[in-house]
Amino acid sequence: VSVTAPLRVFRGCAVREFTFVAQKPGCKELRITTEACWGRCHTWERPILEPPFIHRHHRVCTYSHIRLLSARLPGCLPHVSPLYHYPAALQCHCSGCSTLDTECETF
Amino acid sequence: YDGLAPGCHLFPFNVTIRSDRRSTCKGSHVLHACVGYCESSAFPSRYSVLVASNFTHNITSASRCCTISKDAKVKVRLDCPRGRHHDEIEILTAKACRCDMCRKSRY
Repeated sequence: VSVTAPLRVFRGCAVREFTFVAQKPGCKELRITTEACWGRCHTWERPILEPPFIHRHHRVCTYSHIRLLSARLPGCLPHVSPLYHYPAALQCHCSGCSTLDTECETF
Repeated sequence: YDGLAPGCHLFPFNVTIRSDRRSTCKGSHVLHACVGYCESSAFPSRYSVLVASNFTHNITSASRCCTISKDAKVKVRLDCPRGRHHDEIEILTAKACRCDMCRKSRY
């Protein structure tokens, strides 16, 4: 998916560059730039007559296809593996947040 | 919803309600839902999240969804055949909307 609209009015869900600091005990930190997901998904809440009285359609912009990558952290202690695994987005979509593999947070 | 700008907005819709055992009384009313496009993103989880989830949550989703932040009850008059009597039913309508915490949808 490519982002053709300006970000402030973009609607939908797209792959976007993301930089984070990889860290684990016994190694030095490493700044990694990868592909992640960002966007605005169509969501709604509507009153209904029957319990629970609100019908909702909540979807979040998340990974639909990933590639697992590995980085080598610097300065690791002899008994600590320097490998750090992280997901890179190949494709993103609007979908429910699955607590099986995802930490679902608000901001 | 094509004309909707990013954000979460009141959206009118018409409901027709039927009551009594034979559904012979009915009434219509314009209610409001909350509909829109709220921001969300998904990215590799921090190491603390990986440890807390036993390395199952390698993705973090930080999301907001369109929610009803304020509602009100409205009375809808249901007219019955031959105008002999009428019923009244209370239903909810949205009064204000906000991009807020996403919740599990019921389907």
